[in-house]
Amino acid sequence: MGANGNGHKKGEFSITQDAQAMLVKAERDQVETVWDRFQAQQPSCGFCETGLSCRICAMGPCRIDPFGEGPQKGVCGADADIMVARNLARMIAAGAASHSDHGRDLVETLTAVAEGKAEGYGIADPDKLQALAAEWGVEVEGKDELALAGALAYAMEEDYGMRKKALQYVTRAPAKRQEIWAGLGITPRGIDRETSEMMHRTHMGVDNNWVTILLQGLRNSLADGWGGSMIATDVSDVLFGTPQPHASQANLGVLKEDHVNIAVHGHNPVVSGTVLQSVEKEELVAAAREAGAAGINLVGLCCTGNELLMRAGVPQAGNHLMTELILVTGALDMMIADYQCIMPSLGEVAGCYHTRMISTSDKAQFPRFDHREFHPETAQATADQLVRDAIEAFKNRNPDKVNIPVEPMDQTTGFSIEAILGALGGTPEPLLDAIKDGTIRGAVGVVGCNNPKIKHDYAHVTLMRRLIENDILVVDTGCAAVASAKAGFKNAAAKEWAGPGLRKICDAVGIPPVLHLGSCVDNVRILTLLSALANALGVDISDLPVAGSAPEWYSEKAVAIGAYFVASGVTTHLGPMPPVAGSMNVVGLLTQGLEEHVGATFAVEPDPEKAAVILMKHIEAKRAALGLDSREVGEAADTAAPATPAAPVA
Amino acid sequence: MKQVIVHPERCVGCMQCMTACATAHSTSKTLIGALLEEPRPAPRIHVGAGLEDEGFPNRCRHCDPAPCQLGCLPGAIYRAKGSNTVMVDYDLCINCASCAMACPYGVIRFAEDPKAPPGKTVAVKCDNCVERQAQGKVPACVETCFAGALTFEEPSEAMKRRTGEVAASISLDAAAHRVPLSASWDLQSEMKRRQKALDQR
Repeated sequence: MGANGNGHKKGEFSITQDAQAMLVKAERDQVETVWDRFQAQQPSCGFCETGLSCRICAMGPCRIDPFGEGPQKGVCGADADIMVARNLARMIAAGAASHSDHGRDLVETLTAVAEGKAEGYGIADPDKLQALAAEWGVEVEGKDELALAGALAYAMEEDYGMRKKALQYVTRAPAKRQEIWAGLGITPRGIDRETSEMMHRTHMGVDNNWVTILLQGLRNSLADGWGGSMIATDVSDVLFGTPQPHASQANLGVLKEDHVNIAVHGHNPVVSGTVLQSVEKEELVAAAREAGAAGINLVGLCCTGNELLMRAGVPQAGNHLMTELILVTGALDMMIADYQCIMPSLGEVAGCYHTRMISTSDKAQFPRFDHREFHPETAQATADQLVRDAIEAFKNRNPDKVNIPVEPMDQTTGFSIEAILGALGGTPEPLLDAIKDGTIRGAVGVVGCNNPKIKHDYAHVTLMRRLIENDILVVDTGCAAVASAKAGFKNAAAKEWAGPGLRKICDAVGIPPVLHLGSCVDNVRILTLLSALANALGVDISDLPVAGSAPEWYSEKAVAIGAYFVASGVTTHLGPMPPVAGSMNVVGLLTQGLEEHVGATFAVEPDPEKAAVILMKHIEAKRAALGLDSREVGEAADTAAPATPAAPVA
Repeated sequence: MKQVIVHPERCVGCMQCMTACATAHSTSKTLIGALLEEPRPAPRIHVGAGLEDEGFPNRCRHCDPAPCQLGCLPGAIYRAKGSNTVMVDYDLCINCASCAMACPYGVIRFAEDPKAPPGKTVAVKCDNCVERQAQGKVPACVETCFAGALTFEEPSEAMKRRTGEVAASISLDAAAHRVPLSASWDLQSEMKRRQKALDQR
């Protein structure tokens, strides 16, 4: 179809070998992919691209002409600044709502565990439970583990409401950062409250000052980063274990031709964690053998894949744009999805093969999926039955349609903050020393999605390569983390790509140059780490030689993440342009004006070679401001290096 | 005589002209009504994507002489009296597609139409909204185009304006005087160009 069949080279769409091979097979199998649909959408609507369309109320919908001759105001009178600000703010609200609702499901599971109503779940990290209870001011005395879990869950529920003046985790931020938030009036008060208020303010006739709309956008994002997402990560660690480094693998080669292959897709470990327990059950493995398989092979996709990878080393099959292509292997027997980033096209792709498609969340259903709802009380039994069904599906697999295109790439993963500090000997001092003496110039968190607007994984891989070869430590999460694992950046041999300083640290500590911090909610691990570093130096986060980047972002969640990074003092690069060009005032505030208020800004640059230069210049400038040595950074060459780095020498 | 004039540099690719065109050629003349009609009216204008995925509204140029008219075997295509509009007589049309083969712009499509005999597929193309013009309205695509990519004006006026623009662009210090058509649109287009350039790496 479309883009596949129109004489396009597969290399235009992805730099990864497995994607390229599966795009060829998809064309042969007449499977429509996200790239076909992207092409069919061109040209995309310029009013929407620039944020100059509004369908908030029924006096409209309205458009503003970017050329200045047509209408310059919506029916209500909103000008371009108001319209763009409202649209962007609502993207932040949706992103914050998504992460925070994910966190809510974990708090509810923690409550169910405490009440003894969640068979198959338990307290995997009692130490973290104790530490969190102390941090949240929960009375520890006289409580057993389950009672403590219940009391912690109750305290967290309060952060979702309107009883508090500030969220609990705000106190994790450096004092200077808390003062900045208080000064701007953007200290987040309640997780759901800020999202509600954002929707209220952007209703017709409420907040019509584009600056204060955007300030509430920042507060809403902080309620995600220092609220919903942070709760999600911490409760996941309590329930499923705080990640520790271990070896695993990545790419479509993690599928096994002779095994029952099950993939978990989505975000919440509440589902995938239970499936992991089921596939290890002896009677189910025996059933798989009876069906003619050598065993059961569980693999991850997207962020729930990252959750399992971080904690249990479950191999990572692919990121966002690989979720259709894994079906094209013909080797996947079942895909179990929860929510977020699950393309509604998947059921149709699976229709070309034998793959059973399962939805599990009461809030997320998809065409041509079987809906098998997970609840804490019955999760284990549901997961067991799904594994049995996957074994049945394996019997229907057509060997003629199977193509597992590559060998898996080795990776090391599992770098929670606890694990990183552990590797450093329990204190951030060695890392700070390396930054101070210039061995490492700084650090960049490369995060976020894939987007068919950017050649798949090209921007992630190119940017990370440039950063590590310039002695910048990279931490990654989400789809970016899958891209770098597939490119071999988390392989033992990857330090060869690092600059001399970073390589020295990799050798000394025994880490790869790119550290995997987890899923997209786990971006909060970056906030926690930066707060610890800033506190150790007695400075604010915005003083540190660090930056963020989302080179291939697509989702509203990424907008919320970008906003809480910037509001927390981390200058953040975006690859694709957000829908703000319609207001040069909004563009100016986001890319320059915010510096004066929060000490950080956004920068937009689709080309990762140029983005690397922007980030390096930023880091060197921060070093100079701290009184550390600072280097000149040259401009990016006009002709970029080849997209795919040479295979690492293992 | 006023004509529809296309200004491709202003097309933002929103495709509103397509919906407005289909609605103008419906029986009910409202979008919701048009969606419920059988046959569903077809747009006569088509927005395509250029090499950088920029929009381009492709519509009938009403050529003179018109290759479609020359190629029409049953003589169904004619030029409306007193105008420059090339029209199709749905009773004479035999759906042979000779006109579409002759058309250099690919703007003739085949569909059932509320004005054609029921059940008959005919050649449908831009009629310059003769019906609307008779009511004193401008063509539907022009009315809906907020970006100014489609205007309805005397060709001589548009040509004069264009001549002025071209003349200004070759002045010695044109670059210094250049006022961007739209800072917003320039920024958006530049970012899209950079994205697209990555495909070739």
